[in-house]
Amino acid sequence: MNRDMGQRLEMLLEEVQRPARYTGGEVNAIKKEWRPGRTAFCFAFPDTYEVAMSHLGMKIIYEAVNAREDMLCERVMMPWADMADGLKAAGIPLYSLESRRALSEFDAVGFTLQYEMSYTNILAMLDLGGIALRGGQRGERAPFVIAGGPCAANPEPLAEVVDAFLMGDGETATVQMLEVIGAGRREGLRRERILLRLAGIPGIYVPSLYESVWHEDGTLAAFTPKVEEAPARVVKRVETDLDAACFPAAMPLPYTEAVHDRIVLEIMRGCTRGCRFCQAGMLYRPVRERSPGKLLEQAQALFEATGYEEISLSSLSTGDYSQLLPLIRGLNERFEGRRVSLSLPSLRVDGPLQEVLADSGRVKKSGLTLAPEAGTQRLRDVINKGVTEEDLLRAVREAFEAGWNSVKLYFMIGLPTETDEDVLGVAALARKVVDCYYALPREKRARGLKVVVSASTFVPKPFTPFQWAAQDRLEEIRRKQGLLRNALNIRGVTFNWHDPETSFLEACFARGGRELSPVLLRAYELGCRLDGWSEHFNFQAWLQAFSDAGVDPAFIAHRAREKDERFPWDFVDIGVTRGYLWLENERALRGQTTPDCREGCGHCGLRRFEGVCPE
Amino acid sequence: MKMLVVYQKLGLHRFLGHLDLQRAMQRALRRSGLPVCYSQGFNPHLLLSFAAPLSVGIQGEREVMELPLGEPVAEQDFLRRLNAALPEGLKALQARLLGDDAAPAMARLEAAVYTIVPREAAPELLAAVPGFLAQTAIPCLRKTKSGERMDDLRPLVYNLLVKQGALHAVLAISERGTARPDQLLASLAAFAGVAPPRCAITRAALLDGRMAPLEDP
Repeated sequence: MNRDMGQRLEMLLEEVQRPARYTGGEVNAIKKEWRPGRTAFCFAFPDTYEVAMSHLGMKIIYEAVNAREDMLCERVMMPWADMADGLKAAGIPLYSLESRRALSEFDAVGFTLQYEMSYTNILAMLDLGGIALRGGQRGERAPFVIAGGPCAANPEPLAEVVDAFLMGDGETATVQMLEVIGAGRREGLRRERILLRLAGIPGIYVPSLYESVWHEDGTLAAFTPKVEEAPARVVKRVETDLDAACFPAAMPLPYTEAVHDRIVLEIMRGCTRGCRFCQAGMLYRPVRERSPGKLLEQAQALFEATGYEEISLSSLSTGDYSQLLPLIRGLNERFEGRRVSLSLPSLRVDGPLQEVLADSGRVKKSGLTLAPEAGTQRLRDVINKGVTEEDLLRAVREAFEAGWNSVKLYFMIGLPTETDEDVLGVAALARKVVDCYYALPREKRARGLKVVVSASTFVPKPFTPFQWAAQDRLEEIRRKQGLLRNALNIRGVTFNWHDPETSFLEACFARGGRELSPVLLRAYELGCRLDGWSEHFNFQAWLQAFSDAGVDPAFIAHRAREKDERFPWDFVDIGVTRGYLWLENERALRGQTTPDCREGCGHCGLRRFEGVCPE
Repeated sequence: MKMLVVYQKLGLHRFLGHLDLQRAMQRALRRSGLPVCYSQGFNPHLLLSFAAPLSVGIQGEREVMELPLGEPVAEQDFLRRLNAALPEGLKALQARLLGDDAAPAMARLEAAVYTIVPREAAPELLAAVPGFLAQTAIPCLRKTKSGERMDDLRPLVYNLLVKQGALHAVLAISERGTARPDQLLASLAAFAGVAPPRCAITRAALLDGRMAPLEDP
């Protein structure tokens, strides 16, 4: 950024909301010198700074790339609307926080795909950063636009935008991609040659090297590589040893409060439970644990580098971590005197809850969060949420007895086979939770009962047993929400629900193919951005975009698929096989549960990866 | 015993809000390992008080905060250890050990010195200063919780000088009344009949009732 532009930026920063999001210069931020031979990578988070700075993955990649002498990693996030418009009006390109360089100056820009509703932000950031929106329009000097994260498992809706996708764990693979890009540029290779080399890295998908053919009815007929360098199947990357995997010893410390502003310890990756709606549960298999010794070491380093007041444990199922009690005791011992509290999010209710609660009760008391997901046992069996009402109420009772007064309950509406009885079951369960509280003698319970019931709308996701399922239509979701709203008129209970339009679009982008790229580009043209923020979400513009691109969103969201239909994401091998998912789909419809795979191998397909499943 | 700390809030750090600054200082103190104190109760927090919050966008050259200490630390040691944990823009400049009976800085605060530099030359604005000060009352629109009301700014403007194209103002800042630099600018611009110019604003010092720096009790 030249001096003149720098001055215009300073003026702009005086006008926008919360300017500290755009200044960089945080404690622990790493600003490396730009020099020839050093590959410049910008990690791009397609949502606001506050959301981005809560994301552990960004901090891991930041550390992994910056650890390399021949690479540097900087950060950029989606500016809020006032800043985005201000940058455009002032002729300032979207810049990285560290060196304030335009995105177009980097060798590669890497987006993390955490949720579908962030896709227009990717376009906005490329546009503001001076990078062509379509991969095919990028010149020789343009950065390579790469992407990874959970939504990369079905990369097709972004096929025209992203140059190369990374499937699976990114710690090692991101650095390998940058090695190839850096070496290719130093050798003076043309862009398309570098893309061919990227396609040769295990786990990397280069969409321009493949083509799709559709049937008359709009379903996929064929999906094939156009060149021999491109593998017909792309197998996801797995970090097998989390103790050896990169983990940051320091994290840039945000000045403005992040959504999760605390030390995050990833205790475990993967989940063995096999909930049938849960994409993460399938994508992140196999289960890998970090050892308590390593975690204590990481916690110590992070505390010294940040001064944070709180540590939280992150995983898909914290109660399943085999070393939970030793870890909590170790953390309490080490940090109690330093006023660091411990918070335990999203505990499953059938873990060794009581002991954990008693232990963590010595530090900060946050509310108890439980996710029964469905209101009746029948439907919980369908989704394989192996939690009984008895488990749940016991957990709630124990929490109330231990002096907690707030419980959050998460549910989904629109699950396959759901009836009105299942919907009303949510209210019945909430009432029983309230009854548990009042069953305690007044002097024994904490005051001010607060039960929050949240019902999200079910979105069928690729690589789950429900990838064949139809999503409920909008009016049906609204009807069920209304039903529940009436039934939940209970003192002490708050009901949260969302407008289903966002979930409908998520369903489209979760299971759509590359025909969605033009829809996305058109939506951006029509002004869509920051779609995850209700004040900016414009459903009518989205419908317009679908219509302009000639794509029927209902066909993607509301249609039940045949067993053998070819899916746009079939070429990605996440480990779990399609055969297993279909089997699980059939068991679901029969209301038959599948045990946790630690109680016996269910043959999901992961065994093909040598040494990844515990015996 | 407690420590009074003079620090700066310069450059990009002027964009920190007061809560951001509070958090940044508390975390720096925690990283430094200095013997800080915590409040009692369910969610204990680090005891630290600021003489006067500074608005987003305004620089501070000699800001003041105070904190009780759990055990004695030499002033120079304190300064060295805190600065090792602080970014340059928030550097601590001076540390003074005070007795527990010393009145809190916040209570002693009476006025603040501001330097207001128009980003583009504003000759009409600067020329209007003598006439502006000659008024017996300076009406000023003040936003309150219950709406807007007109206030008299005149008794809160202790001094206003023009030096080398910039305004130097000493404004009241206490429980009895506070004038903010943006209010002063708006009133002065209205008096001069011009639009308020964009300015770089710096708070140069905090003063007590003797109009002496707050850090020299």
